[in-house]
Amino acid sequence: MRAFLKGVLKRAAGEYAEVRWEEVTRSRVVFQRDQLMALESSREAGGIVRVLADGAWGIAVFTDPEEIPKRLEEAASLARAAAGHVRNRIRLAPVEPVEDSVTVSVEEDFREVPLEEKRKLAQRYNELILGYSKEIVSSSVRYTDSMRRVVLANTEGTYIEQEIPDVTLHLAAVARRNGDIQQAFESLGEAAGYEFVKDREEEALAAAKRAVELLSAKPVKGGRYTVVLDQELAGVFIHEAFGHICEADFLLRNEPMRKLMQLGKRFGVEALNVVEDGYIPGRRGNTPYDDEGVRRRKIYLIRGGILTGLMHSRATAAATGMEPTGNARAVSWEHEPIVRMRNTYIEPGEATFEELLKGIDHGIYAKGAFGGQTEFEQFTFSAAYAYEIVGGEIGGMLRDVVLTGNVFETLRNIELLGKDFELKGGAGGCGKDGQSPLPVTFGAPHVRIRDVIVGGK
Amino acid sequence: MGILEKAAAKAKEAELYEEYREGITVSFKGGELEKVKSEAVLGRALRVIVDGKLGFASTAGEEEDPLVEAAVASARHGDPAPFSFPELKGKGEVKVLDPEVQELSPDDLLAWGEEAAKAITEEFPGIIVDVFLSRGESCVRVANTTGGVREERRSYFGMYVEAQHVKEGDIWLLWVGKTVRRREDLSPEMLVSQVIRYLRWGERVVPSPAGRPPVLFTPRGAVVLYLPLLVGFSGLSVYMGTSPLKGRLGEEAFDRRLTIVDDGTLPFGPRSGSFDDEGVPTGRLPLVEGGVIQHFYYDLRSAALAGAEPTGNGMKGGFFGGGFRTPPSPGPRNILVSPGEGTLEELIAEMKEGIIVEGVLGLGQGNIQSGAFSNNVGTGFVVKGGKVIGRLKNTMIAGNAYEVLKDHLVAIGAKAEWCHGIYRSPALLVEGVSVVSR
Repeated sequence: MRAFLKGVLKRAAGEYAEVRWEEVTRSRVVFQRDQLMALESSREAGGIVRVLADGAWGIAVFTDPEEIPKRLEEAASLARAAAGHVRNRIRLAPVEPVEDSVTVSVEEDFREVPLEEKRKLAQRYNELILGYSKEIVSSSVRYTDSMRRVVLANTEGTYIEQEIPDVTLHLAAVARRNGDIQQAFESLGEAAGYEFVKDREEEALAAAKRAVELLSAKPVKGGRYTVVLDQELAGVFIHEAFGHICEADFLLRNEPMRKLMQLGKRFGVEALNVVEDGYIPGRRGNTPYDDEGVRRRKIYLIRGGILTGLMHSRATAAATGMEPTGNARAVSWEHEPIVRMRNTYIEPGEATFEELLKGIDHGIYAKGAFGGQTEFEQFTFSAAYAYEIVGGEIGGMLRDVVLTGNVFETLRNIELLGKDFELKGGAGGCGKDGQSPLPVTFGAPHVRIRDVIVGGK
Repeated sequence: MGILEKAAAKAKEAELYEEYREGITVSFKGGELEKVKSEAVLGRALRVIVDGKLGFASTAGEEEDPLVEAAVASARHGDPAPFSFPELKGKGEVKVLDPEVQELSPDDLLAWGEEAAKAITEEFPGIIVDVFLSRGESCVRVANTTGGVREERRSYFGMYVEAQHVKEGDIWLLWVGKTVRRREDLSPEMLVSQVIRYLRWGERVVPSPAGRPPVLFTPRGAVVLYLPLLVGFSGLSVYMGTSPLKGRLGEEAFDRRLTIVDDGTLPFGPRSGSFDDEGVPTGRLPLVEGGVIQHFYYDLRSAALAGAEPTGNGMKGGFFGGGFRTPPSPGPRNILVSPGEGTLEELIAEMKEGIIVEGVLGLGQGNIQSGAFSNNVGTGFVVKGGKVIGRLKNTMIAGNAYEVLKDHLVAIGAKAEWCHGIYRSPALLVEGVSVVSR
């Protein structure tokens, strides 16, 4: 592949061209109640080329590797067609060409584990969930693994081969009492081997137990509350509400937004530090080299409450006079790299859990995340479950807790950061511009925020 | 020897799904062209039944033998197949291919994108405009060991316009979009004028009424109410016991004025096709007629489990499609909600005081199986004295779709529009939705 790609790229037109070819080995086991909905161990391959010609991008996606020369020509002609419509020519920030090969060693390589064993594992968790209570009416257990072998070559001499492992387990329970249906889940994901999904009986039972408990939980009453977020939900918050607006591709042609996101501007309390890191051993967001061949960097988005960094691709870095940060990622060979998060987290503070609760007369302790979405400053995310906080103590269970607000106000309203930090990579992933689910991790300590709007009846 | 023949040599039954997608996308950000992209992707999925057990494998760009081996290996550890692959009959009688779409050049798409950004920024100079346009064709082929083959070319043409109003303390993101199969069903000018109308409505931020004011869901906003139904009418949800509609066929579970049909045969419907992803002919399936539950929709598996007939709703990836990689599951084709009476203006006049919901954040989060919704209103407007007086902010709506559509439906609008590439609905004026605002 190496000699072939180097040869082909020599003849490529334009200021810059790159080829990415991926070979993926993947398995998937899905149980829904008593049905084995999917059982698969497959392979696939595909590629994408990008050509920058006359300051514009042309891109072509294909599945036949013999077409690479033809697709490079096609991308160049698309770029030229586009160039007439571009006012500000796209430039790329310079990076040193890299020749490297990144292999991973996981404890127990899932490619060596027979499909039958994966099925048995998922089935055991499924049976545990279904057998937990008569009120459990359905379940969903999903195991996935994938090993992406990514080859990236460009006209500047970069040639990188990377192996990217990913393994996930999603354990969900559905409980029903009369007409009421409630669901709960545990969601796990890492850049690890098969060992990561073994011995998860506790998590399976926890999901089942919580689904049944939610049947007796009180629906939350809408209003404004002081809220304590657990590590997972605080992590989702920082990813969704804040992380996405620090992606420089979104700011590039959006002058008013760029003004709002000026480096040096205060965003939160002194104790607030937010990190974006390309590598933490075993984590799903790991990106040793991004899909433009840029080596990873750890950056602080917020340090001491002040905005200190943004995430960049080579193009956004060049346009803003910054350095690329290694955040240009593609979810698969079907897509071009765009600016994405990797491992994003709030650094821990010093408060104990008791200190976080202290002084809250009537608040909410929100745990876990069904999901989240943002539209710039507006965010909304759903807690998987929650508890009342009454007189500084944890009270009864609540459900249907959806939190919403303005991210800038909410960051300013962070009152306390716990010292109990956790990093989490769920079984899902991040979505942006039609590229989903991209493996990421997020993390935080427990976080206390005042004046959060909670929807509800 | 083809893949199916190789599979047939090892399996009693086999089915090969192939999808070849070819198309072009152009993206504009901040009114300026960002990239032009072409795709030519071949994806395949193979299902086999070996010793009565079901196996599955999928691939893109790989050789044929590993696909057959992977499917057979999966069957070895699989569960008994509750169904057999059906005889594949019929011809492509549903119209889904418009040659005019294929003739659209990158230059056509580029010109529309540029015009859209220009038209919007002429009236609203500070607005940031992103535009995405795509056109292409997918050729889907389903063949199985009954000897039959179904094959169809389907065109698609889509446009999405996003307008961003960015001021410190007031950021608003508004988008409209449409995906169709026929060139004439999408007017870039219409989408742009829709954006401009909403921008005019939303120039001023006004306080939202709270409590339980009337809520007018625009056709696009009504997805809040339909999403739980898409899950609830799935034959698989019903069989699994997670649908609140289980055991309620024939019951008047909705307002009598409500009629909802799932129609896979509608000419040039965005999800129309002569056959589903299992080769079963699509049809016209009433889900709700006069408020009464009529049918659920099924793929081969859920139909066999429930003792029902497959309805041509076997969709790879279920609700929103997932391409060749996922096995089929029940998904809607085109959801058509029958219109009632009254233009949008008349409905606004009728509600007197309330809110209009056009877009929400957090769709599908939370307990949609139960019908519950709780969403931040992304794009919404305030109505006072029967007129739109401005845009609302920091407002959440919450309620239960099943309750709203049974007991709190005030009026159904006259004009149905295609939304989210999956349903065609008029605006719905409802009560019984809780509105919390700051």
